[in-house]
Amino acid sequence: MNDRDLALHGAAIKRHAPAKAIGELVGLSEERAAALLADAVATGRAIEAKGAYALTPLAGVALQSRYGLHFQHLRDDAGFRSAYDGFERINRTLKQIITDWQTLDVGGQKVANDHRDKDYDAKIVDRLGALHEQAERILAGLARGLPRLKIYGDKLIEALEAAEDGDIEWVSDIRRDSYHTVWFELHEELLRIMGTERDE
Amino acid sequence: MSGWTIRLDGSESPTKEAAGGKAWSIARMRGLGLPVPPAFVIGTKACLAFLDSGDFPAGLAEEIDAGLAWLESETGRSFGAGEKRLLLSVRSGAAISMPGMMDTVLNLGIDDAGEAALAAETGLAGFARDTHRRFLELYASIVLKAPVELEGNAAPGDWRAAVEAAGGPVPASVRDQLLATVRAVFESWNTRRARRYREHNNIPHDLGTAVTIQAMVFGNLDERSGTGVLFSRNPLTGEAEPYGEYLPRAQGEDVVSGKFTPLPLDAMATAEPEAHAALLAASDRLEREHGDVQDIEFTVQSGQLYLLQSRAAKRAPAAAVRFAVDMVAEGRIDPATALSRVSAEQVRTLLLPRLSDGATDGAAVLATGEGACPGAATGVLVADADEAERRAAAGEDVILVRKTTSPDDVHGMIAARAVVTEQGGSTSHAAVVSRALGRPCVVGVGDGAVAKSGTVVTVDGAGGLVYAGTLATEAPNEQADARLRQLIEWARAASPVAVVDFAAGPDGFDVDRALAAGDAEALAGAIGGASVVRGHALANDDIARIARGAGATTIVTEPILPVLLTMIGDAA
Repeated sequence: MNDRDLALHGAAIKRHAPAKAIGELVGLSEERAAALLADAVATGRAIEAKGAYALTPLAGVALQSRYGLHFQHLRDDAGFRSAYDGFERINRTLKQIITDWQTLDVGGQKVANDHRDKDYDAKIVDRLGALHEQAERILAGLARGLPRLKIYGDKLIEALEAAEDGDIEWVSDIRRDSYHTVWFELHEELLRIMGTERDE
Repeated sequence: MSGWTIRLDGSESPTKEAAGGKAWSIARMRGLGLPVPPAFVIGTKACLAFLDSGDFPAGLAEEIDAGLAWLESETGRSFGAGEKRLLLSVRSGAAISMPGMMDTVLNLGIDDAGEAALAAETGLAGFARDTHRRFLELYASIVLKAPVELEGNAAPGDWRAAVEAAGGPVPASVRDQLLATVRAVFESWNTRRARRYREHNNIPHDLGTAVTIQAMVFGNLDERSGTGVLFSRNPLTGEAEPYGEYLPRAQGEDVVSGKFTPLPLDAMATAEPEAHAALLAASDRLEREHGDVQDIEFTVQSGQLYLLQSRAAKRAPAAAVRFAVDMVAEGRIDPATALSRVSAEQVRTLLLPRLSDGATDGAAVLATGEGACPGAATGVLVADADEAERRAAAGEDVILVRKTTSPDDVHGMIAARAVVTEQGGSTSHAAVVSRALGRPCVVGVGDGAVAKSGTVVTVDGAGGLVYAGTLATEAPNEQADARLRQLIEWARAASPVAVVDFAAGPDGFDVDRALAAGDAEALAGAIGGASVVRGHALANDDIARIARGAGATTIVTEPILPVLLTMIGDAA
């Protein structure tokens, strides 16, 4: 993918993020990402508000149509595809872990987890740790096919360790690069790479 | 005897340091005269000796054999031999529960002959086969660190071959299996995650873990067996009535799996009146002992009640409030304990807007799905996240409706009052993100919802319903509820800061205006020592903490109870 499409692709996955975060995700320097995004704004491909960028709808569709071109080799790569299948498989476990993190079973009904039971939380962070050990092989397989995807593994372990250290917002907070946020950005990236649709 | 092991027969009460939390709790229950399956524990001292030398200390293996012999005489069963097999559960148990350590191996003691014996004893060949399979899966995953999924229809020989291919051989003798499991528990003390957890919680590395070895009991042994869960009070409503379920001729996992519909406890009273009476007596005893509502797992084996576990019950927000206030009235706890049992988050949940009584009478249900996050909200359905964000910014109440959501939609979800999706269940992206945001959410309403964009609807995130039109919603008032009023009264006496509502509060520094003008970091400076602060933003814990840190002595906001609880919690 050329740098221009990389910047647009980053803005598509990380909506309403500043150039630094978009650049980091796709492996462009902050300056390079900022220049490309400014250019995208000038040509009507992106909009900028308070230093954060988002694609215009038409640019989003156009980008989507170029994915086949950029990613066909990965779609045909048996190793990459098998890593992707592995991701989709453990994605179900991840979603269950995050759901168990957010909700408690009380007498057969679900209520919100208010994180008062430290043992309960510790057990779930532990399940997340166990899942991450399984994910590491899959993430390595994905990064073999497309080296820039390594960033997701780095950010996931960062979030996991912050959660293990007791800052539990790093599990699923939506406004930071929590484990859940990064995981779903990776999922979105993979869906775009493989040209498939989210199946819930 | 070198004293590596301790019999948990209730005659002595070992410390948590020596025996770990699980054994401590078994000993305590036995000490209270409650029925618990017989167990002994390998103490933490043995773990430290093992970690030091890399091998079992002298005498440990012999003590384990003596412990097994004692379990055999207590249960009338034999380990690895005979027609009535003794099966074991083996669990790690440090003084402090911690992640990353080996958990539990169940059904240890079963082999081909043991399976045949269990099948003959229960008349349930399928159950015996399944017990065997579950043991091998746990052994593979926990002891050999090679998780496998074993084919339910295969023969045990094939299972053992699959386990061996994945992680190494399963020892032929059940005694060797037990010793290998004990070893694995000891070694799990030093896993990466366990070490990390200790380091970050200032837990010394030289405590070691104990290993509890307990006889398995079977709720599916015969017609007079069963299993269930009992709460000493209703954890959903808070009523002071035992609440629970019973599943005759079943194992604990059958209740959890949802494959079987359990019966109410009354059914147990009819089928096993003695065990039922013993259970209620144990429940009351444990509640008094712990001064908190208990969640008890139990099994009845051939008419005999066994308690497997008792712990403080998880509770819905309404129940948390009711338990706390009622138990003070009953003289079981004091007001300070009551306040520590209710969280700010639980009170906020109770005060979420909901549909007014009678609001749904005659209302048309537009869509039905699964309620993924409670609360009620009204707005216009908008199918595009960008549009939702734009219209919300312009002051409109919008409900984001999507087939499914992706990271691409998160800004729209933040802007929306509620979220509705056509596809997905309680673990879907939309459900997870909505809960993280506290947005009412209904998922999986089926095709056609997106096509209704432009319609004004009311979303009931608890019931999983989308109604046509604007229905009346209301935010419950904390002063209108007698129990919440009682908690407010106690909390005011305990809080280091005065918290009052807008009507009663004096004028003071306007936090909302300051936040609108600047950011939260600058807030402390802006407050600049004002003693009274006012504003809706103070209902947020972080903002309230900043204000208190900046020297405020009176906080004027609504609702007040959550802020009071946060301030008391911080001061504790």
